[in-house]
Amino acid sequence: MSALLEVSQVTKRFGGLTAVKDVSFALEPGEITGILGPNGAGKTTLFNLLTGFIPADTGSIVFDGQSVRGLKPFRIVNLGLARTFQLTRPFIGMTVIENVVVGCLAPRVRRDGPTESRARLMLTRVGLGPKADLLVDVLSYGDLRRLEIARALVTRPKLLLLDEPFAGLGTSEIEPLAALIRELHDSEGLTILIIEHRLREFMQLVGRVIAMDFGEVIAVGPSKEIVRHPRVVEAYIGRTESSRGVA
Amino acid sequence: MQRWMIDGIGAAVVIAVLSAVPLVAGSNYLVVVLTVALCNAMWAASWDFMSGLTGRENFGHALFIGSGAYTAGFLNTSFGLNPWWSLPSAPIVAVLFSLVIGIPTLRLRGPYFALAMLSGATVMQSLTIIFSEVTGGQDGLNGIFPILDSETAYYYLTLAIAVLTVVLLKIIALSPWGTILRAIRGDEATCQAAGINVSFYKITALMISAAFAGLGGALYAHALLQVGPDLFAVVLSINTIILVYIGGMGTIYGPAGAALIFGLLIEKLRFLSEYRLWVYTLILIVILFFLPKGLVAPAWAWLRQRLAGRRPEKRAEDAVA
Repeated sequence: MSALLEVSQVTKRFGGLTAVKDVSFALEPGEITGILGPNGAGKTTLFNLLTGFIPADTGSIVFDGQSVRGLKPFRIVNLGLARTFQLTRPFIGMTVIENVVVGCLAPRVRRDGPTESRARLMLTRVGLGPKADLLVDVLSYGDLRRLEIARALVTRPKLLLLDEPFAGLGTSEIEPLAALIRELHDSEGLTILIIEHRLREFMQLVGRVIAMDFGEVIAVGPSKEIVRHPRVVEAYIGRTESSRGVA
Repeated sequence: MQRWMIDGIGAAVVIAVLSAVPLVAGSNYLVVVLTVALCNAMWAASWDFMSGLTGRENFGHALFIGSGAYTAGFLNTSFGLNPWWSLPSAPIVAVLFSLVIGIPTLRLRGPYFALAMLSGATVMQSLTIIFSEVTGGQDGLNGIFPILDSETAYYYLTLAIAVLTVVLLKIIALSPWGTILRAIRGDEATCQAAGINVSFYKITALMISAAFAGLGGALYAHALLQVGPDLFAVVLSINTIILVYIGGMGTIYGPAGAALIFGLLIEKLRFLSEYRLWVYTLILIVILFFLPKGLVAPAWAWLRQRLAGRRPEKRAEDAVA
């Protein structure tokens, strides 16, 4: 099977800082892959490069057989590559369902039927059904994360990029969200790329991990092996305080 | 009763009252005042459509108003065309101006669009004075023909066009198109992530806004039979924005209602002679200070709840401002 996403030698510099350096990897359809790395490793920048929010300096990004480097973010979404943001930015002043309806209006899915019922179905699926008609301003942090995922999913992505979906959530919120992500994968074989720096949530979810540090890929492999990889251990314990998850 | 039924009855009452004015008014003066107020209503509603919905403030709406009005004036005085030609031509010219400003600046983040609109209107105002042989300078273009000979008949024409404008803009605002425009106000990056071509929607919204502002400008020119550089003035743009704030931003009908109410109010204050603008300004400041969501649309929302006999519910549309 050919790769769904093929990233080769992508580099991005901000002035003198190389945020992402020569990153190459490929994603097979149907897998859940994690991107692991301490803060500042370039994970979110890599996401922004893949989704067109930041232009890459060099390298190639091929999604579903088509080069997406240099395309505008909304075009990439309409090819089937959707994302969520680490800091959720909902449409304030609109209802929860309206927030999702906007995703239903993307050209890729515009003619798939009544937007309102599609949005409501998706909200039920992510567990926000009862809150569909509330103003988005009143949602809790965990609910906003679910809303982000619902808004991304209504564009019917082939690949979903999740940027730290568990950040800022309490333990009671993490487990149901992880279950939702697993269910999305199991029920329709959605390919998922997920950023996280907390290993515990990761281990259970992802099959394969791409470890990054200082903008470079330092190791790739199954999650159980990656956490013992010497360079990963060094990246976490050697320099940062967020080594809690490794132990 | 359903929400839309109450809205429909409310609109019908307002239209009926406006239609009855020439029948009960003692003079043609009130009719002309209301004709001008209807033009203001079109300007305020069209500003609200673009800027109220998307949140991208336009500080130079007079660019579209003035270009529409001068188009009517030139076609009429310089080319001697039948005055009816003004109505299709003015929106086209205004839309061309909207593309010149909108295409380069609405693709950028930051204040470029607001500033370009402001300077665009100011530049046009200067040009009308510099090229005075063509434009009549400070005196403007005089001797524009009326579209209809009777002031009352022209009032009804303006009323019909203004009502159609407000209804059409409101229908678009309530459609999926309007949902996208309000989402752009919320967050442009999230819109992109939802697969929406943000620049396309902003530019087309500005084109629609410009078309109706230009049409209102042409109607204004044929009401007063004269156009001048003041139609490009900053104060006209600001006045339009104030009407939108008083009306209730993002509601379309609120700004139009505010234009009618305050168009009449400023005439009724005429007995105050030179203190008139002081009092008018004071009233505006009091309203903006105490009612940040505006006066007209919130008042109607309150009345609608009363008529429906339900507890007020918080609706997204009313919370935009």
